[in-house]
Amino acid sequence: MEKIAKLRHKFLEFAGQSGYAPTIKHSGSGKRAVVVIIILLVLIAAASALYIYSRTYAKAFRLGVPMTPQAFDSILSRTIPHLYGMGAAAVVLAVVSLSFQTITQSRVLTPSMIGFDSVFVGTQTVLVFFFGAQHFLFADPFINYLITAGIMVVVSMLMFGAILRNHRNNIVFLLMFGLVLSGIVGSGTSYLQIIMNESDFFQVAAATAVNVNNMNVGIINLALPIMAAVVALTLWRHRRYNVMTLGPQQAKGLGVAYEKELKWNLILIAVGMSVATAMIGSLTFLGLLAVNAAREVLKTYKHLPLFIGSALMAALTLILGQSVMELLQGAIPVTAIINLVGCSYIFFLILKENRI
Amino acid sequence: MIEVRSVSQSYSRDKEILKEVDLVVREREITALVGANGAGKSTLLGVMTNLLPAKKGVVMLDGVDIRKIKTNEVAKKIAFLKQTQQLSIRITVKDLVEFGRFPHCGGRLRDEDREKVEEAIYYMKLEDLQESYLDEISGGQRQRAFIAMILAQDTPYIFLDEPLNNLDIKYSVEMMKIVTKLVEDLGKTIVVVLHDINFAAAYASHIVAMKDGQVIKEGSPKEVITPSVLNPVFDHDFHIVDHDGRSVCLYYDHE
Ligand SMILES: Nc1ncnc2c1ncn2[C@@H]1O[C@H](COP(=O)(O)OP(=O)(O)OP(=O)(O)O)[C@@H](O)[C@H]1O
Ligand SMILES: [Mg+2]
Repeated sequence: MEKIAKLRHKFLEFAGQSGYAPTIKHSGSGKRAVVVIIILLVLIAAASALYIYSRTYAKAFRLGVPMTPQAFDSILSRTIPHLYGMGAAAVVLAVVSLSFQTITQSRVLTPSMIGFDSVFVGTQTVLVFFFGAQHFLFADPFINYLITAGIMVVVSMLMFGAILRNHRNNIVFLLMFGLVLSGIVGSGTSYLQIIMNESDFFQVAAATAVNVNNMNVGIINLALPIMAAVVALTLWRHRRYNVMTLGPQQAKGLGVAYEKELKWNLILIAVGMSVATAMIGSLTFLGLLAVNAAREVLKTYKHLPLFIGSALMAALTLILGQSVMELLQGAIPVTAIINLVGCSYIFFLILKENRI
Repeated sequence: MIEVRSVSQSYSRDKEILKEVDLVVREREITALVGANGAGKSTLLGVMTNLLPAKKGVVMLDGVDIRKIKTNEVAKKIAFLKQTQQLSIRITVKDLVEFGRFPHCGGRLRDEDREKVEEAIYYMKLEDLQESYLDEISGGQRQRAFIAMILAQDTPYIFLDEPLNNLDIKYSVEMMKIVTKLVEDLGKTIVVVLHDINFAAAYASHIVAMKDGQVIKEGSPKEVITPSVLNPVFDHDFHIVDHDGRSVCLYYDHE
């Protein structure tokens, strides 16, 4: 007993001498983050296993056929890209949602909510309408993606101007911007789709009907490196986001070139959103849910753990949701659940904070 | 050296807030900025720190147009305490003070940064509060925490917009003593907006009086603290008495 007390004393002495003592609180919150991240990783592994199970054994059992190793391998080779796709898209959505919330100083907005998604559909429609479905601008997935991303970047720059000019009420303003953008793009799109010929229309419909069940796995080789770049560039700046949470003025006073950061971030967000949307369709509330869940669990303002936590939360939600949906044979689409929960949550947030 | 050369500033097109202001900040001294509400003091500080880039005219920092200097370089030379502080995140006093080191270390604290943070906390007598959350301490304590962040930034120029906000008399005096020490011991240059003329008279070596976006008069306390200067600046009748060779204002109504 005495020995332990002595050791403990020695340790404390050592800790005090090495300047360890003042940082105890930080290592405490750091420890929490590590634990949360490990738990999330384990859960994601479990959810992935469940997803594979739901598409192989569960399905075979339901259909009353035996699951041969060959059949398993062939399904697995189709399931793995889906898993990667869902994981990557979820990570990107979560990361850009968090950076968007930080630069707009809001916990309620995410880029999906201000009409980025509608730009994707609009671009596809315009391409087909003016060039035809056979034209390489539309048919070539790489070129098509580059055009979509380019247009989204242009839109994000318009938004940049809007935020700068209207910094006082920028959240309400951004919501209005999103509403107007979706409205204009949406009605323009419908109009073009009505007057275009039938075969073109079906091409557009097929291209824009991507969702979690009908993923555009074809662009995954293009998408993954872009997504990795967006995530890496965003995470690399994690310390700057911490300062930006103090507000634009304070951040500028501390040496963050706020306008430049804003511009770069909006470009990163546009690129990330465009690639995620092109691959997996729109998941309006996934980012919001994941980011806020991570905030609740991690209870920190530091962006490195928040980025990682949000990304893992999003991946877990999507993969788990999709597995459950497979098990229930598509009785409830996972996006519907996410949107329902997301809508309720945003309502709760607005009520709680009593502001937008 | 900070020089303001015929700076005019406006928020909207029709109303000029600063009109052709010229000012050279005196090195290694305390300059007090006084003037009525809305005179343009905060706006002038904003322009001088480049948080609000000058629309007309130019602010020179060490001979270079401050608008052309990188934000991070400016932040290594100028620290600015805003008039009001609001935060949307929940952080401790120590977290806040650590932010002051950002211009120097980009958020990755080295040993020397930790030392500066501890020094600043010690200077502002916040040792016992450093682990407290900012929303759980008093307004004056919070004000001291923000000032500690400014000190941790360790810049040659320090701009303080009404630092005595929320401070009681004891801490106000202590604050001004700290400011004096910063000049005497560390050779800092300080510009401070003060509403209490007597504090300006007691601690500043130079006073700049502003009215309606213009500098009406600048000079030593003896030159500025006179009814003929202050009455028009504040639209108020001042009564000035001499106390041990210092000018003291009595500004409450005395029929
Ligand atoms: N962000 C802003 N947008 C529009 N007008 C502003 C803004 N900030 C200040 N003003 C106007 O500029 C004028 C000067 O304001 P400023 O804050 O510089 O005054 P001040 O001398 O610091 O006053 P106080 O003693 O009340 O702090 C005021 O008339 C104010 O209405
Ligand atoms: Mg002011």
